[in-house]
Amino acid sequence: MKKILALVFALAMICMSMAACSTGSDAEYIEGKGSMIIGITYFEPMNYLENGELTGFETEFATAVCEILGVTPQFQEIVWDTKEIELKSKTIDCIWNGMTITADRQKAMSISDPYMNNKQVLVVKAENVGKWTDAASFKDVKIVAEAESAGESTIKTDALFAQAKYTAVDSMKTAIFEVFSGTADACVVDFVTSIGMIGEGTDYANLAVDPAFSFAPEQYGIAFRKGSDFTAKVNAAIDQLIANGTLKTLAEKYKLGDQLVTD
Amino acid sequence: MDKIMTLLEGFGLNTAIFFCTLLGALPLGLAIMFCTRSSNKIIATIFRGIVWVVRGTPLMLQLIAVFYLPSLIFEWAMPRTVAAIVAFIINYACYFSEIFRGGLDAIPVGQYEAGQVLGLTRTQVFFKVILMQVVKRIVAPMGNEIITLIKDTSLANIIAVPELIMVSKRFLAKGILWPFFSTAIFFLVFTGITTLVLNRCEKKLNYYKL
Repeated sequence: MKKILALVFALAMICMSMAACSTGSDAEYIEGKGSMIIGITYFEPMNYLENGELTGFETEFATAVCEILGVTPQFQEIVWDTKEIELKSKTIDCIWNGMTITADRQKAMSISDPYMNNKQVLVVKAENVGKWTDAASFKDVKIVAEAESAGESTIKTDALFAQAKYTAVDSMKTAIFEVFSGTADACVVDFVTSIGMIGEGTDYANLAVDPAFSFAPEQYGIAFRKGSDFTAKVNAAIDQLIANGTLKTLAEKYKLGDQLVTD
Repeated sequence: MDKIMTLLEGFGLNTAIFFCTLLGALPLGLAIMFCTRSSNKIIATIFRGIVWVVRGTPLMLQLIAVFYLPSLIFEWAMPRTVAAIVAFIINYACYFSEIFRGGLDAIPVGQYEAGQVLGLTRTQVFFKVILMQVVKRIVAPMGNEIITLIKDTSLANIIAVPELIMVSKRFLAKGILWPFFSTAIFFLVFTGITTLVLNRCEKKLNYYKL
């Protein structure tokens, strides 16, 4: 028994010492290997596949930044729920995927300067646009949003939805599908996400954003490991892209021109 | 058409995970079974503990642990698909080991005794008398596990392995629904073929009817 215990402790010590071994700054680590692994999920218009090729606003934006910094971009599809573990375990070097800056995320990760504005919108069946106008009309209306999302906190805090029936679902995709299939009347989702998912050319052609509502303005940032010194370098590169107009051209290409942070 | 090709590519990963898991888990399961039955009490206890942990925790959690823990502790990560296969092999080997144990325990002691009386060695008794009877007994429960494995391969998407469900969800993000629902057909066809193969195996083994 003693021998086994000794062995277990020895193994634990080796583990801990190896974990402590990692030296050098994050920038040195990324520049040292010459490539930056960029964690993404596929969604239009940010990062998506077209004829098998990865493209999108964030894809081109990240590629342009990497070019300035002299590293090769390497895009890695991730699962959004485990993005913090991916970052921490160095299976990715940053999250560059239209990520909303929140206080919690700022505490857990190192986040770049905001580069894009976003908001939450109400998506309904096209024939229902304008049907609901005030808190009384939202009484018993079935409404869904992604659990833990900005949409959810809008529904939970805005007096407009005080009497609505709210259900949390696992993703924005599910939220929109619920409205499409009629199991919910409306959903509160991210505006930028909704651009690529509803309307012309999709199965959700009969869904629309109700223009009367807009909630929870927010901003997008790029997330790096907590305490990373690479964030500052990326910020400088972004400033360069703003100054020479590249970012504006890119945003306009993906119909996001109005969303850019201008100051 | 290119959408179907994308789905097929994803399903290729599911089948690869399936066959690799079977190849790895069958022998490993046998080894674990012998260890849990070992006369060395320490080894038997350790392996019974492992089987308990693996069967007692969600496979989804095991996938996450196998992929992220080495990276968090040692800063070393396996490729995603390899990590998925490793997790599946460990998980299924533990289930298989219990099925093997059940099959082996079901053979009456009298057969070993009869073998001894006839002057056969222990190895001879195992390979010439016992083994095929065990195989016959475990075909049905193994078939059950194998069919579960086909569907479980889709769990690999939790560590971002671009298997069928993961790639079909990419279309969902583009607002195109049918690829996601059509994934059912892929699994149905594969389980259908597997069921036919398993039925044939069972028929052939009827020779060893007791």
